Amino acid sequence: MGMTTGGVPFSLTRLLIVAGNTFTEAVRQKLFNFLLLLAVALVASAQFFREFNFGSSELKFISDFGLGAMVFFGSTLTIAATAQLFFSEIENRTALTILAKPIWRTEFIFGKFLGVFAVLGVFCALTTLLLAGLLCSRENSLMALHPDAFPGGRIIHYGDLMAMGMLQWLKFGVLAAITLLIASFSNTNLYTVVMSFFMLVICHLQYLAHDTYAQVASLPLRLLVRLLGYVFPNFQVFNLADQVATGVGLDAGVVLRVAGYALAYIAVIGGLAVYSFRNREI
Amino acid sequence: MTPSASPVAIEIRGLTKDFPLNLRGIKLRAVENLTLSVPEGRVFGLLGPNGSGKSTTIKIILGLLEPTVGECRVFGVPSGRVDSRLNVGYLPEAPYFYRYLSGTELVRFYARICGVPRKRLDDRVKEVIDWVGLSGAAQRRVGTYSKGMLQRIGLAQALVHDPRLIILDEPTAGVDPVGSAEISELILKLKAQGKTVLITSHLLAQIEDVCDRVAILDRGKLILEGDVNELVGQRDRQALIVDPLSPEHLDELRGWLASRGHALNAVEQPRARLDQLFISRVSRSEKGGQK
Repeated sequence: MGMTTGGVPFSLTRLLIVAGNTFTEAVRQKLFNFLLLLAVALVASAQFFREFNFGSSELKFISDFGLGAMVFFGSTLTIAATAQLFFSEIENRTALTILAKPIWRTEFIFGKFLGVFAVLGVFCALTTLLLAGLLCSRENSLMALHPDAFPGGRIIHYGDLMAMGMLQWLKFGVLAAITLLIASFSNTNLYTVVMSFFMLVICHLQYLAHDTYAQVASLPLRLLVRLLGYVFPNFQVFNLADQVATGVGLDAGVVLRVAGYALAYIAVIGGLAVYSFRNREI
Repeated sequence: MTPSASPVAIEIRGLTKDFPLNLRGIKLRAVENLTLSVPEGRVFGLLGPNGSGKSTTIKIILGLLEPTVGECRVFGVPSGRVDSRLNVGYLPEAPYFYRYLSGTELVRFYARICGVPRKRLDDRVKEVIDWVGLSGAAQRRVGTYSKGMLQRIGLAQALVHDPRLIILDEPTAGVDPVGSAEISELILKLKAQGKTVLITSHLLAQIEDVCDRVAILDRGKLILEGDVNELVGQRDRQALIVDPLSPEHLDELRGWLASRGHALNAVEQPRARLDQLFISRVSRSEKGGQK
């Protein structure tokens, strides 16, 4: 059963095999199970606020609380899982064995990314569905207790909540790509985690610098801030939670633009990670 | 047989590898101007003390490192190219595999990466696991394997795509004498199948038993290369092993040899090798997976 000689084309199958193995590893990690349980517990704890009986504003509170838990623990899970799943290959020397096979490093890196992305997808799907269940249950109770507070029917847009969960998933995808880029040239897991959290803060707060310097700074500084605004993705664009629980609803065009924004950053940052990893000596 | 008499599996020409140590440009030279050919179908031993450049050379052959100067080809293909690894199986030193997979899952994973056709996948995985003697432990998590079992599952993943060249980096490191002897047996079986094997080991007795040809590296430089028999054989001497002789018969034999111009240089009692004695007395407890 000798293999054929000749060039080895890029293979989506190999990439998916690496992704599947990465997903298996992540699912069997206690860290993943722990964070998942914690996030589920936090979302579920939002149900206890029904004792306050806020009326319709209570639903917004539960929604914000649940989405906040998803963002906080999802970000932690993204950075920890991506760094761990990459460095476990380097530190356990399994990278030596797999890269000694006929596989492109591009397939390896994007396989690792897709494996982590799948884990994050499961996390976001579970927490979003749980949150939707909680909101629906509470909304039914409140509608029965205070029908006058719901003159137009249901307040929560459940489709928008699902879209919100998907957008958070894409944001975590961008963060995973950033973490993978840092890991591709970093020597230690710790450095990768610290730098990735630093980048997370920058990406969340860069809009503040943009708004401030757009008004007061000189032209060169304004241009620099604008340039940095393109280099670092703006994570505030994913923050559409206010429109979910206030009856406003999400604009489909905005959702699609934000999704495209995330995918573009994933492609570019993932490409940079591949370029960096191709030059890394294992 | 000289290397040039058979097709070449690995061709290394003027290979030098430097590792930068700091930002001031100070470098560590791991391999220096190495030229080496590994003929196809032979078992080739790459020897040397720790830090002599063996592992660096292997990593360059596998495309994991780029040479600083020189070139390396595997079956005629530059080693930096992905297709140079199509016909190569590799067992790393002290292998750590995915601990959360079972033996079967692990070998299946590498088989799929190597492109083993789906319809042959299950049969081929079972075949190599049987071949390395791990069928009884195939469903157990790799994390529960002993060192000897890890080496054997490592050998299975290296062989699953039926490569023509197998590279074994310290395959017996940390393995007991019984496990080590079994790995030697497997290497000889691979040789009988016409495979090329490149092996590094500090167990020189094992190298002598299984290798046709060796090269010795020291501080990154090639200091000796040749066929094992030519390097260690004493062509001007012979050993005769006979039943015990009485002192009178021994004197008679000495006189008979002297009358024909030969000297009896030594009279010794042959000794069995300690590893052979050990193997003959210790049962193979791990075979089939019973630890």
